Amino acid sequence: MRLIIRDNAAHVGEYIANYIAKRINDFAPTPEKPFVLGLPTGSSPIPTYKHLIKLVKEGKLSFKNVVTFNMDEYVGLPEDHPESYHTFMFREFFSHVDIPPSQVNILNGNAKNLIEECKSYEEKIKKYGGIELFLGGIGEDGHIAFNEPGSSLASRTRIKTLAYDTILANARFFNNDIAAVPRMALTVGVATVLESREVVVVVTGQRKALALSKAIEEGVNHLWTLSALQLHPWALIVVDEDATAELHVKTVKYFKSIERVQDEVEAMHDALKKQGVDEPVGSME
Amino acid sequence: MTSPNGLICFTNCLLPQEDGALVEKDLWIDERRGVVLDSQKTFFLRKERPDRVIDLGGNILSPGFLDIQINGAYNFDFSVYEGDDETYRTGLHRVAEKIVETGVTSLLPTIILSSFSAERDAIAVFPHPSLTQERSLYPKLLHLLRPYHSPTSATLLGWHAEGPFIQFAKRGAHEPQFLLTAKEDIKSFEEVYGADNLTVNEDWLMDDETVGVRVITAAPEVDGVMSSIEELTRRGIVFSIGHSIASTGLATAAVQNGARLITHLFNAMPQLHHRDPSIIGLLGASPHLSSPSNPASPVSATFPKIHRVPSTVRRSAAAQGPQATSEAFDDVQTPPLTPVLRAQTDLDDLHLQKGKVADLAFERPFYELIVDGIHSHPNSVRLAYSSFPEGCVLITDAMKILDPHLKDGVHEWRDGKRFVKSGDKLYLEGTDTLAGSVVTLDKCVRNFSRFTGCSLGEAIRCATYNPAKCLGIEHRKGTLRPGADADLVVLDRRGKVLSTWVRGREVWTKAD
Repeated sequence: MRLIIRDNAAHVGEYIANYIAKRINDFAPTPEKPFVLGLPTGSSPIPTYKHLIKLVKEGKLSFKNVVTFNMDEYVGLPEDHPESYHTFMFREFFSHVDIPPSQVNILNGNAKNLIEECKSYEEKIKKYGGIELFLGGIGEDGHIAFNEPGSSLASRTRIKTLAYDTILANARFFNNDIAAVPRMALTVGVATVLESREVVVVVTGQRKALALSKAIEEGVNHLWTLSALQLHPWALIVVDEDATAELHVKTVKYFKSIERVQDEVEAMHDALKKQGVDEPVGSME
Repeated sequence: MTSPNGLICFTNCLLPQEDGALVEKDLWIDERRGVVLDSQKTFFLRKERPDRVIDLGGNILSPGFLDIQINGAYNFDFSVYEGDDETYRTGLHRVAEKIVETGVTSLLPTIILSSFSAERDAIAVFPHPSLTQERSLYPKLLHLLRPYHSPTSATLLGWHAEGPFIQFAKRGAHEPQFLLTAKEDIKSFEEVYGADNLTVNEDWLMDDETVGVRVITAAPEVDGVMSSIEELTRRGIVFSIGHSIASTGLATAAVQNGARLITHLFNAMPQLHHRDPSIIGLLGASPHLSSPSNPASPVSATFPKIHRVPSTVRRSAAAQGPQATSEAFDDVQTPPLTPVLRAQTDLDDLHLQKGKVADLAFERPFYELIVDGIHSHPNSVRLAYSSFPEGCVLITDAMKILDPHLKDGVHEWRDGKRFVKSGDKLYLEGTDTLAGSVVTLDKCVRNFSRFTGCSLGEAIRCATYNPAKCLGIEHRKGTLRPGADADLVVLDRRGKVLSTWVRGREVWTKAD
């Protein structure tokens, strides 16, 4: 696992966007072999989206051959509700980049058969050969996607009841009316995320500091589902200074010291790939 | 240049909202259907995104302007019928095609039963002086003014009849011999305008064959008018108070009966008198005084008498000389009238919420403003706007001389008469008599923003959403809502028109 620390949220977004752009461009996707990208919602990824949009407008990146899968969506919230994740993704990202609508996948929280919806979502991911890179954020309680504390670390896409913490945190988007916040969501599982070839997680702000510490300084624990990332061979967490508040000084220093290795890691990965090695190599720490 | 899939995305632009805000956002339209799209639905449900993207470079993409009172333009007078339907239609078409350069994409031709009063001996609307004959032609003219648009023209919304049921003392440019009373109430209206021109039709804009009546300007104090307002309103017609000396009580009653608009505020009406604020005072209608549910309302029981000099008295004075004064400067003294202040009764609790205004069932009417800097002083414009911003509707009230390409100087009018154009001012040659308005609506928008200090977005609202709402067509015109007609005008940040679109098609671009 790598941890990249940047000064503030904007720099974190810029870093991740440049990183994703490089990954997509190196991948050289085609209609037959698209780049499959997993995407989150929430406030943390907004700077990343902003910078990705900038890269597209500058002609340095294209989503023409990118297929996206979103992490989650509320159950029972109309698709065009201002707080639905459909609306979020369209407003913050899809409307501004050149992705064809047919290549965008978001769980349908209004499907008649929600179980079937989740199952076919997993199948669709498999049909594309799995997710190349999953971008994620975390909640204050360390949840990745809507995999609330206590979620099985082997979970797949499914219906999930939101934790009270999450409902409280989201009430601000629903006129502070707790009753208006949906109680359920469809979400990819922890295992779905872990199965992607690469995971990049953005963690910004002091409110997320404890969750970050729990996820990387303690053991794998289903009460902090992000900690499952410790089992992933190729994971990258990008954080701002505020988010490191609960980390040991030693931890921060250690990760800072290995940051420079990253370029070498990627260069090696590219070289191996050119030799026909298809497996991701993971990080070098 | 068209888009391969028929969809266009405007990006890097500011969109005026219905509340006057300017929001940085993209707008998607369907150029084939000529409508604004719900972009998110188009993306997720139709699975399409526009093939053509237009970068507006940070400019403003506004709904096209609506002018709901305009007498003519480009040398065509809506009130003049020269004996031939085809000529009239050609004239209409010419105005609709050309007016788009001023940002106007919808207009309501306004007709009067008269020509300009200063030349009453010249050719009137109709070439013969016989009143019966004039009136018999009226329905015919209105019949020609049904909603119309071509693929490259602004939409003609129908017609606005100014008069003839108006106050003699405030007749302005209207010929006195054509003024009428509505002795038989609604029947008198039907007789003048033609009964089949006044039929109920709610979906008028859906079908070009429907009836075109939209607005009737009349004076509520004229016999039979007040009792007709309710029926006119029921038929979907916007009743507008104008050319009137209605007292506060009468004006309030007219609104309670359904009147929805005030014709060119400040002009052709009593000036604002603090004891009897009359028609202008409707902008400040005191909620406790005006509510019909309030038994203390001055008009719920009986109409107060009109405490004004009867118009017949003034008729003789006015008849003494054909002193043609503009409506703007028609200065009839307002006799003071102390209103019945029964709003002072202690019937209800007073509310305790700061910023809230007691919400009683009285809707203040929309009001038209001619913002050329001549017909109303900038201070008056700001005064009106501050008292009721949601009701403000900008109009040009322009004469047929309106044409932004016309140079200043002396121009032929008709029958040997000439006028002098000097900027937005228009005089009869050799006089200081204002001969009407020649301002364009886009200039009114810019003036308005300067006069009131409001934002450009808020000024735009007064030429788009407010007039559309007044006419009850805010789902189709004056808005960027999904489903609305893609009538658009691109403005720079100083409010100058850069290009105009009608129904998804670019029909005018500013020359570089």
